Amino acid sequence: MSAHKKWTSLFALVMIVSLALSCAAPTPEIIEKEVVVEKPVVQTVVVEKEVPVEKIVKETVVVEKVVKETVVVEKAEALPRQETLYFNGFQWGPVVCWNPYSANCNNAMAIAQGDNARVTMFETPYLYNMLDGKQYPLLADGDYQWNAARTELTFKLKEAAHWSDGTPLTAEDVAYTWATHVKYNTPTGAANKEYIETIEAVDPQTVVVKAKLDENGRAVNPLIVAAYVSSNYVIQKAWTQKLEERTGGDATELLADTAEDVVYSGPYHKFYTDDTKVIMVRDDNYWGQDPSMWGKLPAPKYLAHMIFKDNAAGSAALARGEVDVSQQFNSNVHLLWLNYGLPISTYLPDAPYHIGASLPTAFYNLKAHGLDQVAVRKAIAIAVDYPTIIANAMTNQSATFEQVPRSLMNPTPGEQAMYDHEAVKDLQWVGNDIEGAKKLLDEAGIVDTDGDGWREYQGKKLSYVATCPNGWSDWQAAIEVVAAAGKKIGIEITTNYPEWAVYQTVVTKSDTPLPPGYEIFMMWSAGTGITQPWGRIRNLLSSEWVGMPSNWNGNWGGYVNPRVDELLKAIPNETDPAKLKEMYTELVKIYLTDVPSFTLMYRPELFHTVNESVWTGFPHQEDGSVPPIPPMNCINGWSIACLYNIRLVSP
Amino acid sequence: MRHTIQQVFRSGKFVVGFFILVAMLLIVIVYPLIVTYPPLQIISQGTFFPPGIYVNVYDSIGSTRYTLNLENAAANRIASKLSNNDRHAMKDWLVAAGIPENEIDINDTEQLLGLWKGNYDPRVNIAGMTNAQRNYYIRLNNSLQGLLSTEAVIIAARNADIGALQEAGVINPSDYVNVNQVPNVRVLPLGTNSFGRDVLTELVKATAVSLQIGFVAGTIATLIGLTLGLLAGYIGGLVDDIIMFFTNLFTVIPTIVLLILISFSIGQEKRGAFTIAVVIGFTSWVWTARAVRAQVISLRNRDHVNLSKLSGHSVAHIILTDILPYIASYVVMALILQISTAILAEAGLSILGLGPKTTEVPTLGLMLNWALIYQAPILGKWWAYLPVILTIVLVTFSMNLMNTGLDQVFNPTLRE
Repeated sequence: MSAHKKWTSLFALVMIVSLALSCAAPTPEIIEKEVVVEKPVVQTVVVEKEVPVEKIVKETVVVEKVVKETVVVEKAEALPRQETLYFNGFQWGPVVCWNPYSANCNNAMAIAQGDNARVTMFETPYLYNMLDGKQYPLLADGDYQWNAARTELTFKLKEAAHWSDGTPLTAEDVAYTWATHVKYNTPTGAANKEYIETIEAVDPQTVVVKAKLDENGRAVNPLIVAAYVSSNYVIQKAWTQKLEERTGGDATELLADTAEDVVYSGPYHKFYTDDTKVIMVRDDNYWGQDPSMWGKLPAPKYLAHMIFKDNAAGSAALARGEVDVSQQFNSNVHLLWLNYGLPISTYLPDAPYHIGASLPTAFYNLKAHGLDQVAVRKAIAIAVDYPTIIANAMTNQSATFEQVPRSLMNPTPGEQAMYDHEAVKDLQWVGNDIEGAKKLLDEAGIVDTDGDGWREYQGKKLSYVATCPNGWSDWQAAIEVVAAAGKKIGIEITTNYPEWAVYQTVVTKSDTPLPPGYEIFMMWSAGTGITQPWGRIRNLLSSEWVGMPSNWNGNWGGYVNPRVDELLKAIPNETDPAKLKEMYTELVKIYLTDVPSFTLMYRPELFHTVNESVWTGFPHQEDGSVPPIPPMNCINGWSIACLYNIRLVSP
Repeated sequence: MRHTIQQVFRSGKFVVGFFILVAMLLIVIVYPLIVTYPPLQIISQGTFFPPGIYVNVYDSIGSTRYTLNLENAAANRIASKLSNNDRHAMKDWLVAAGIPENEIDINDTEQLLGLWKGNYDPRVNIAGMTNAQRNYYIRLNNSLQGLLSTEAVIIAARNADIGALQEAGVINPSDYVNVNQVPNVRVLPLGTNSFGRDVLTELVKATAVSLQIGFVAGTIATLIGLTLGLLAGYIGGLVDDIIMFFTNLFTVIPTIVLLILISFSIGQEKRGAFTIAVVIGFTSWVWTARAVRAQVISLRNRDHVNLSKLSGHSVAHIILTDILPYIASYVVMALILQISTAILAEAGLSILGLGPKTTEVPTLGLMLNWALIYQAPILGKWWAYLPVILTIVLVTFSMNLMNTGLDQVFNPTLRE
């Protein structure tokens, strides 16, 4: 009894103390970013010595001590704070590989192909700039040229471009990269082979990308062809051949290769990684210091990314100045400078703090009872309290729907100009319209017939579950607000948060109807890129995704509209801006009339919060850079230009 | 019986613990009768509003206006917008912009603001200034607008007919309203949380739910432990061996691990407050069973039990009338401890995100969990987590205190 009591009291005490500690004190200081080097060498020595077991143990202990001491020495000298730029929010687990062909390396500091490709280690011919929607040459020399029929895209490569092994980077490398993607059906190959026929080297400096043609002899999708040159890396032919040789031509093995020996063209490469950090170091022989590109080396010698447990830990590190560039959701970020006076800032000085780029969206299961009725879908959508979602779930880090009226476009000026605002004005809603929603339902004859307070459709009560993955805190908070709206208009909406592993399997299985419990569910939509807004609209509305066994594209609710499909097919080949605007306006009209899904908030492509304790000169609104440097954490697409602009606060 | 209760209430420790618990129970019961707001309603548009009295600005414009001539009003107004640090920062900027340092007197508000107004330009690029500093000066500049004005502020309303603004009222710097006369005032003694809910109202509800979880779990655990302990101790032999086999098995598995595994496998959708209570109850009966068994074994061979056996009473009868009363005091103490352990276990589970699901009921653990997710500790929003921690501390403290008090009364070895 007494022993147990003690135990309980002790447990209570420990619990309380730990609660208090975890709350009151900031997370323990992270050990300085040291580099462990000696250890493997020393271990080999131990193994080689053929001595009795006990002796090995003893020796190992001694060895450990040596290692520790080495670390202490290294700690002081290895990563000088004044030469290192620290990140958070990209890497949430240990790095698996350095293979640019693979999409599963979990190597966010080095490998991420896409509209705003990460160009620290591997490089794309062009760099996309989300602020002006243009592609700027990196490996390429000057703008690319379409032929008259828009079926062939030609670009030159810079003479100065060379690989980390010193050999020149040529058109042959570009062509061979594509050939390898197709041959081994890599994710890049699979995503583009319907649109790109071949990529050929005309001469060592000239590349021609030939589009696949449709039955009319036009390119199937020139948008995707143009996006390819700023989304996908150029990988060295010689290294690829070496890789093919050692993997014996097996696609699975080729993609699974860790590629520690990979040859790269970018300014940084692997320095050190383990379970807690990723560190990249500058290649002082980088070709980009040639006057034809940057004319100098990027400012930080090291790029380092600590692996944090969660957002809260990352935020604490940012506040302490241990992180310079933060790509994560820092709740109530403005309090860091308003209340604490920390040298922290975001791209915009005031709410919404970031440039919204993607539209987190609530999808309806269009086969659920009652949700096949537009009146029900629209009623829920217009009753939702969006200002509360934006103020509470996003802590105001999203533009409001008064500022940017809802459509299919993200809040960037380029996309906003692509549809006729006046024409859809009557269809747009800002939320909290309880009376309007009730009226809509009453008019559709969807009323409460049995007096239980909930409306019925065809005699059956309207009762739904709103859901999103567990632990996705801002989405969960948003879903709570959606559920609250249901109660106000007589539709029962409860919430549920399955684990992500379960959630993603259910939601992306588009070849069977969604099970009960997934009537209203949240997913994302595409951000910025050369194919946008077309690509985003296609993801949200195209019927081509319905029936896919593993659908990671969109339209998870199963919306089918032949007119939408027709428009989506026509847009990529349309070059007349007036006609494009007309088509986009029609799509927005259909979307806001049919309400197959509805946007809950705007979200930045990447969060971009910087701490200027050590480095300054990061991009911000009206920073005077021409072309404007986008707030993309200094390592994505054109935002890499930021690394050549930043400087030390106190050199 | 009466004597026992009198004895118990003579123990100072028990009385203190008892009164804390009763006070909390009373608050939990009475508060919802007085404050009838739904505990989970989202009221604030924005997170973590600080504690205070919220007065409706719109209503206060229309309320009866009183003129109070208070001395420090203007000074307070300026101090709230312009701290000493701000004054130094303004001086730094002005010096960097080329104003001679000796011309700037940071204590002379009027002169300082005059210089500032005449020289500050947000577009001027001062060497070595970070963007964070630049933003700071822009914010400061905006907040200083009209700071020294002594003129009245005019309230305007849009005329529905002509669409133009029309004067609707004038507010002088010396105008006051009486808070009691403003129709819409909401007191938020503990502010709002990450969802925008009233923390105090939610805390009261959460305490009620956590206590319920504690009672349910504690009762289940005690009942199971008691039954198994009585059977094992009294019957002995093979029954004892089997029961102790399982008890020992459960003893070696850490409860928290079991709890985590079971809660996780139940899945979020089925985890209500009651389910969690049952899970906790079914995993924490072990030590009660062992302790009860030990007590019963020492009772089993007492004379009155043997007499009862000789009289031909059934096993159930003997256990209920000849054994149970002798360990009743012990069982009550065990129950109290089980309840407090269960409340802690719920808090522990919820912090890991394995507590009851969020929509229907708040619990103390869930409130802590969400405060942590929305980084309340980093942002210094103490009202979102400190009151919750204090509540947990008070509940478990009061119960442990009661338990110690009871122990002193009933345990002969501790009796003074």
